[in-house]
Amino acid sequence: MSSTLSTLVASAEQGDRAAADTLFATLYDELHRMARRELGRRGAGVTLGATTLLHEAYLDISDREGAAFPDRNRFMGYAARVMRGLIIDYARRRQAQKRGGEFEITSISTDVAGPAADADELSRVSDALDSLEATDTRLARIVDFKFFCGFSFVEIASMMGVSERTVQRDWEKARIYLHSVLRNDALLT
Amino acid sequence: MSPLGIERWQRASPHLDRVLDLPPTECDAYLMALLASDSEVAADVKALLAEHRLLSAEGFLDSPAAIHRPEPGLAGVTLGAYTLISRIGHGGMGSVWLAERSDGRFTGQAAVKLLNAALVGRAGEERFKREGTILARLTHPHIARLIDAGVSSTGQPYLVLEHIDGRHIDRYCDEQRLGIRDRIRLFLDVQAAVAHAHASLIVHRDLKPSNIVVTANGEVKLLDFGIAKLLEDGSGDRAVTLLTRDGDLAMTPKYAAPEQVTGGTITTATDVYALGVILFELLTGQHPTAADAKTPAEFVRTLTEREPLRLSTAAADGVRRELRGDLDTILAKALKTNPSERYASVAEFADDLRRFLNHQPIAARGDAFGYRTVKFVRRHHRVVGAAAMIAAVIVSLVTFYTVRLSTERDGARLEAARSAKVSELLLGLLTSIDPYRTPDPNDPTGQSPLDIAAQRIDKELRDEPELQVRMLTMLGRTYERMGLHAKALPLEERAFEIGRRRLGSDSIALAQSLNNLGVLYREKGEVAKAEPLIRESLAMRRRLLGSEDKDVAVTLIELARVLNDSGRGGESEPYIRESLAIRRKVLGPEHRETAVSESELGRLLMRRGDLAGAEPLLRDALAIDVKALGPNHPNTAAAQGNLAFFLMTTGDLAAAEPLLREALAVKRRVFGPQALEYAVTLNTLALAAEWNGRLSDAYTMFDECLRVARARLGDAHPRVQEYIVNLARVRILQGDGAETESSLRLVAAAREKRYPAVDWRIAQARSLLGAALMAQKRFTEAEPLMVAADRGLTPVPGVEARERVANRERLAALYHALRRPQPAAASR
Repeated sequence: MSSTLSTLVASAEQGDRAAADTLFATLYDELHRMARRELGRRGAGVTLGATTLLHEAYLDISDREGAAFPDRNRFMGYAARVMRGLIIDYARRRQAQKRGGEFEITSISTDVAGPAADADELSRVSDALDSLEATDTRLARIVDFKFFCGFSFVEIASMMGVSERTVQRDWEKARIYLHSVLRNDALLT
Repeated sequence: MSPLGIERWQRASPHLDRVLDLPPTECDAYLMALLASDSEVAADVKALLAEHRLLSAEGFLDSPAAIHRPEPGLAGVTLGAYTLISRIGHGGMGSVWLAERSDGRFTGQAAVKLLNAALVGRAGEERFKREGTILARLTHPHIARLIDAGVSSTGQPYLVLEHIDGRHIDRYCDEQRLGIRDRIRLFLDVQAAVAHAHASLIVHRDLKPSNIVVTANGEVKLLDFGIAKLLEDGSGDRAVTLLTRDGDLAMTPKYAAPEQVTGGTITTATDVYALGVILFELLTGQHPTAADAKTPAEFVRTLTEREPLRLSTAAADGVRRELRGDLDTILAKALKTNPSERYASVAEFADDLRRFLNHQPIAARGDAFGYRTVKFVRRHHRVVGAAAMIAAVIVSLVTFYTVRLSTERDGARLEAARSAKVSELLLGLLTSIDPYRTPDPNDPTGQSPLDIAAQRIDKELRDEPELQVRMLTMLGRTYERMGLHAKALPLEERAFEIGRRRLGSDSIALAQSLNNLGVLYREKGEVAKAEPLIRESLAMRRRLLGSEDKDVAVTLIELARVLNDSGRGGESEPYIRESLAIRRKVLGPEHRETAVSESELGRLLMRRGDLAGAEPLLRDALAIDVKALGPNHPNTAAAQGNLAFFLMTTGDLAAAEPLLREALAVKRRVFGPQALEYAVTLNTLALAAEWNGRLSDAYTMFDECLRVARARLGDAHPRVQEYIVNLARVRILQGDGAETESSLRLVAAAREKRYPAVDWRIAQARSLLGAALMAQKRFTEAEPLMVAADRGLTPVPGVEARERVANRERLAALYHALRRPQPAAASR
């Protein structure tokens, strides 16, 4: 990979689709690799916090690339989007294998209970999110942060530089959008 | 795309923004206005709001996406004759699963309650099954059947119950808008069920609206009959009934009778009382005695000291007339504080209610009122104050938890878990959920319940040294968490003394005592005393609990702290890392205790200059605290403070200050401005101000920190000296260095005694002392100090690095003033 992540980000932000795709793929590999390494360190059957993973990824990458690398908040925006992909892929893989997969990434503490999300449902949410992204990028990002990565409202607010109240409200808006899309799709199929 | 289409969504979007922020009443007004100006958009917004209501009810996207560890494969597991299907609830005693018969025989479904194994206990298994058989024989149309009670091969106790779908009786009555007479009629069904059970000598003990359910066709069903008894261990009924209330005393035992709360005998009269409270609430919506109690302690006090309200007084205006008279009398008799004055049986209670409905004269005399208030009298016929009652509760609680002594490792773990739980209960009981609030010094009884409990422990448990030690350490810890170190110390010392004398060299209780006492000494600043105790505790815990125990992790961190306080922080790293590894493994990576270890490691790395390593730890610790404790918890504030200090060290003062202000606000709110915890954060904020060049702000804040710390810790405490140094530094910067000389001398001398010679804090004190002397132009005296300081200061980012730079600048100025060239070594 001859371009650094910094240049990829710069190009992607100027509308270069190819750069955006490469950026996505690179970040994906990066996060995936880090997750495996972390688990190698701690042993199997352990859960990994998505938020921690993202923080460490940022430190790693910005270390390597130096001052040119965009600040943490912008990085998080991209990384969260990538995280979404990772989580869905993992869900699919896990569904394919009966027993637990190589690793589990979780975004919430281990003592919360509830049914595991279905990989297909997650994909549908992701597709709906992509369409939301086209209209209102910020709302989609919030969903990535909150639903897929598990950041709290407070953290998201600080990463996006807005008030917590704004994040909460936008989250509700995003949910309305996604829910209506999914419900409508369900009716049509 | 949603049915709306992009364009319409975008037009509706700003309105949606406004409307989502408005309360429901104003929301309607807004929509009406919008309707008038643009009816199409208004219709869209309305539709979107409807969508919102729908998705909220469904909990759409409420739990995060990623897959987490599900309950250890319980779906499909067989317990007794039943197979678990899916989880339907999570109560305090354990989770509840929907289940069906494994052989498919009976088509109905059952609810299987998985009980917390710790509640049943080893010796309890046999009795659990036996009692279960007795309860299963209870059949009545209004009682949800206990189908089976058992313990699985893996030691998991469970109950199989008839699954009832219905609303709690209070909700049902409100939703159906039942009038007084209809409510009483429904209530008679409840009483019939209870009376039936009493006839079989089964007391419910835990009657409350959430245990009384009404099905869709208006049938009443009582749940959880006698379960409380199943869980008792035969050593005393009292504590268990309180605990089975969601397993937590922090939940106010609203329906408990006075004798339940103070450790008296449980009889059928206890159920009569509970029924009285329930009926009272059904008729008036209020609690008869303690409607305004805010804490469990207050509740206990009012329950045992106050007479219940007259029914008609408590009622709303509309129904008051209907309730006056006989109903007043009936309820008053049911709610008598003294059990022997109540209705002798639920049947008699029901009879009087029936007479009321038929407009017949009731049997209860009209003299329920008009007697002087008879204070509740204990079994021993002594009139005691509320504090003593609470003390009795404490003692019985702790006794329940610790009476089962086991030397097996698993038993030890269970005991440790229970001890922690009881500590929480004690705090909850005495200080209302927040453990950091101190008790009211104006308590009329003079002595606090803890004091009384301590006396009782000393006197009455003389023959049970293990129990004594456990309870004293528990009380000591309670005081410590309330900030009352002066009261904690004698208790912990006594516990230690007894433990040392009478418990041998391998005892969990003694290990706990050693740990607690060590912590207290360290907090007092007496590190030399603390270290051997902590080390011994660690060794003992390793021996007794193995190397992967969360209590071992606790002591590891305490050892690290002791080492740090005595200037040997470098040695602490392996201990911190080990505790982190244990906690990550045993508690998971998102547990608050894991956050504590991460914070310690982060701070250690920071002191070493490894900022990159420190940052993820500090951030993660904060994230965990925010998630687990919320943004208004003092631990979260502490984590924010750590992170803020980190940001300051990396130069990001702008990001640090708002964090610090937030943290400071939380600490002020929780601890008050005279507390040490508050001073710690204020100190960091003052540093930020200093580094920002706002010297007079920094001065004011450091001064206040010093004042607070001095008042709490005395002059010899290392923290106080740290603040003295900070204050002195600012004064030097402001040009008032001369006046700081004497206090800096004292600090330097104290630090030379306390820390190893190479500790940077000694160098810091010397550097500043040098500056103070320079301010008086005593250059020749200053020189050796500053040269020595330069040797002792390394460029660790943060306070030390800044001091080093400042020292060098002053040295250069000194040599300039002396008109001497700077020696080569100093300009390295």
